[in-house]
Parts: sequence; structure tokens; C-alpha cells
Amino acid sequence: MNTHTIIRHLAIGSAVALCAIASPAFADGVDAGTLIENTATATFDAGDGPQTIESNTVVVRVDELLDVTVTSLDAGAIGATPGEAVLTFEVTNTGNGPEAFTLTPNTAVAGNDFEVLVESIAVDTNGNGVYDPGVDEILTAPQALEPLAADEAVTVFVIVTVPDSVTDGQQTNVELIAEAATGTGAPGDTFAGQGVDGGDAIVGTTGASATATGAIQVGLTSVDLTKSASIVDPFGGESAVPGSIVTFTIVAEVSGSGSVSDLVVADIIPDGTTYVTGSLALDGNPLTDAAGDDAGEASDADGIAVDLGSVSAPATQSISFNVTID
Amino acid sequence: MNTLIKMVASVSILAFAPTQVLAQEDTLTEAPSPNGSVKLSGDVMAVKVIADDTGAERTELVKPDLIVPGDRLVFGTDYANEGAEAVTDFVVTNPLPSAVRLASDADAGLTVSVDDGASWGMLSSLSITEDDGSVRSATHADVTHVRWTIASIAPGASGRLEYPAIIR
Repeated sequence: MNTHTIIRHLAIGSAVALCAIASPAFADGVDAGTLIENTATATFDAGDGPQTIESNTVVVRVDELLDVTVTSLDAGAIGATPGEAVLTFEVTNTGNGPEAFTLTPNTAVAGNDFEVLVESIAVDTNGNGVYDPGVDEILTAPQALEPLAADEAVTVFVIVTVPDSVTDGQQTNVELIAEAATGTGAPGDTFAGQGVDGGDAIVGTTGASATATGAIQVGLTSVDLTKSASIVDPFGGESAVPGSIVTFTIVAEVSGSGSVSDLVVADIIPDGTTYVTGSLALDGNPLTDAAGDDAGEASDADGIAVDLGSVSAPATQSISFNVTID
Repeated sequence: MNTLIKMVASVSILAFAPTQVLAQEDTLTEAPSPNGSVKLSGDVMAVKVIADDTGAERTELVKPDLIVPGDRLVFGTDYANEGAEAVTDFVVTNPLPSAVRLASDADAGLTVSVDDGASWGMLSSLSITEDDGSVRSATHADVTHVRWTIASIAPGASGRLEYPAIIR
């Protein structure tokens, strides 16, 4: 038998204390490199009183298990427009020893409507779960995470550019692949001597490689304004004569799948007409002419303006006001 | 007892020459028996499931070359009475390494302790008092020690004691 002997004879009585090894993290398996030491003690009487003897101590070292998981932290597809988009992933070292992981993004996933360009991969350095440019560390190629302790997880951002050619509603998937730096393979594959403290490393059930998919859906929003006018003349007809009242209606239609913010619809009072005070209305509800008290303001000199704020598509809102022909 | 050999220096083997403690090396060299009559010899084997060419699986005891959490080990202690007199009241106590738990299919009649050797009994008779004062039945993972008692060993007789453990 291949024996490389460790004989540990110690004063009897201290044996129990010496068997206690540094308390490893048991959360998800003992740490790689942990020494498992076993010693038996016997007491007996051989005719001349009680005696105590101790066995040799057998020592085995726990080898390093290579395992990793990746999860998308985005709740479903993230909405995006042409330009930068950020996908969020979590990489967890589910092995039992410190291990570095290489990260590889894949934008060419079957079924993608379009392909994004990966700008960079960043680590959530400040741990706030949100990509902070200039704060979160950008990984340089080859993109490898610093070694993660056993059971340690880190949030990773994949920053991509959505091309200008996309159309509303298009989807694309981006995969993030994490692979143990020591190596990957079939469960049970071993890397002799490459584990903790010169022990072996063995590929765990994950194959030491994991992939998660993040999704991007293009949300393009357009706003169409349609203006119409109706006239009532002083004689009950529809002629444009002095004294006729013209009602202008502006329909703002927000279409697509995203939202617009700070949407303000404004119009001027045409020359030769006078604004009818108190006639401004949004969806049939009167607005005051004064500024600041509600969404609308109106005056003969400055025209009308209605602040619709943030509007999610699809939505249609109707603004109306009256003028008299001078 | 005056013949007891004390080699305290062995602690430093781990501290200064860790490469000597390879998982691949099971350590079977016997401890000299202090009184020349009884010998104890410990060993450890790993239990591996091996699939043959037909896909059928069988378990085999192998040297613990490669072990990871969840793997099964069998710790064994051989004893032999090499003296001329019968040995009586032979009690072997084995603290479990903290990195393993007793396997759930261990002999139910095994005498164990779940409180570092303060009290003993079959696992089914032992309980654990939680920090909040509640009491629950002890489980295999709570076992801290195993113990065997042999009333008498005749001169020249020998035997083997084993317990199965799972790496936590």
C-alpha cells in the first residue's frame, strides 16, 4: 500500500482537542483543503489496571469541487431603445474552494430578432445592484472575475449597444457564460494537483460551467399629433366670418410599446383670431388659463400649452380650445 | 504507562510541511502499542460507485484519492490483542472529524454521543436541546462520537470496527 505516513502520537488526553479542525464553512459543503483527521482511542484492562492507547491518525484532505451558477437578475425582458442597455446577472461559486471564473457573453442566440454589440462587462463593485459607470469595475479581456470564495456570489453587468436599425417590439437574447478558470468538463473530470493547497480539482454537477440568458425588448414610442377645426358662425352656420367661434382639437396619439416623458403639446393662437378665455380642455375636462395650477395654460399672446407629463403607449389624449375670428 | 511514547512534534507536520498530508495517502502505519499487548490501527477508505461496461453500478472501497463534499468514507480501526493475557472492558472511542457526519445507514445499535462524549446511547434515545430551549430528536448529523465496547478479547484475537461517514 502506498503509505506516506503520518503518525501522530500525542499525550493521551489531548487527542480529542487535536481532532478538532478549524471550523470550515458547512453551508454548502466543507471547504476544499479541509483536513479530515480521525483517531480512535481505546481503554481496557489487561489485568494490571485500566490503560489507554490511541490509534494512528488517518488524514484525508477534501479536494476542490468546481461548480458555478449564473442567473439573470432582470425581471423578464428589459425595455430598451437604440443605444446603451444593461443586463444584470449573478455569478455564484457553488464549489467548495476559491475559484476564478471567465465570463463570455454570447449575443448570437438562435431566434434573436437583432444582435446587440457587447461594449463591456462590469462587476458591481459597490454592491448596489445597479450599474454605475465610472464606479463599477470594467473587466478587461479576457474577462475574468477575481476568485470568488466558496458560496460567494457577485453581480455582473453586461453593457450592450442596441443598433439603430431595430423596430418596436423586437427581441434579442444575450447569454452570459461563466466557466471555472481551473477548467470545465463532464462531472467527475479531474485536474490533478490544481485544487486548493495542491489537492485535486474535480468537476462538479454543473460541469464547472453555467449559462444564463438575459432578454432585451425594443420599446420604441412615437407621438402623432392631429389637429382639426370646427366653426360655428354667429348665424348658426359654419362660415368663417368675424365673430365665428373656431374650436381647435389636437389629438395626441402615443403609439408603440414604450413611454414618453415630458410630453408637452403647444399651439399658437392664429393671427386674426382671439383666444376664448377659459376654453382650454383636456379630454373634455376644462383647464384653467393660468400657469402652474394644472397641466394647462393659455393666453392670446403665448398660445396654449398642455403638459401631459409621462405617457405610456398606447394612449390617446385630446386637447381642445376655442378662438373667435376678429 | 511509563513506556508511553510521546511525539509531540507531529503537530508541526501539518503546520510546516502540508504537502506531506496528501489525500492520496491513507495512513496505515501502526501506532506502537504502549504496553505491547493491544494494538490499534486506523484506516480510511472512500466508497465510490463504479459503473461497469454494461452500465450496472456497484460500490467499491477505494483509497480516498479524490474526495469532495457528499462523498462517503468508511473509517476503520483494527484491534488485536498481541499479549498473553485476555483484555477486558475494551472500549474504543472515536470522535467524528467535524467535517463529516455519521452516515444515516450506520448501525442503529451503535453507541454514540451527540454532546462531545458527555452522554452516550443509541442515536434513537438521544435528543438535542436547541438554543431556544426546544428539544428535538438527535439526528445522524448531530453525532460527535461513536463508541464500541467489547467485554473481553482473548490473547491473539483481533477484530475490526467501522463507521460510515459522509463529508459535509
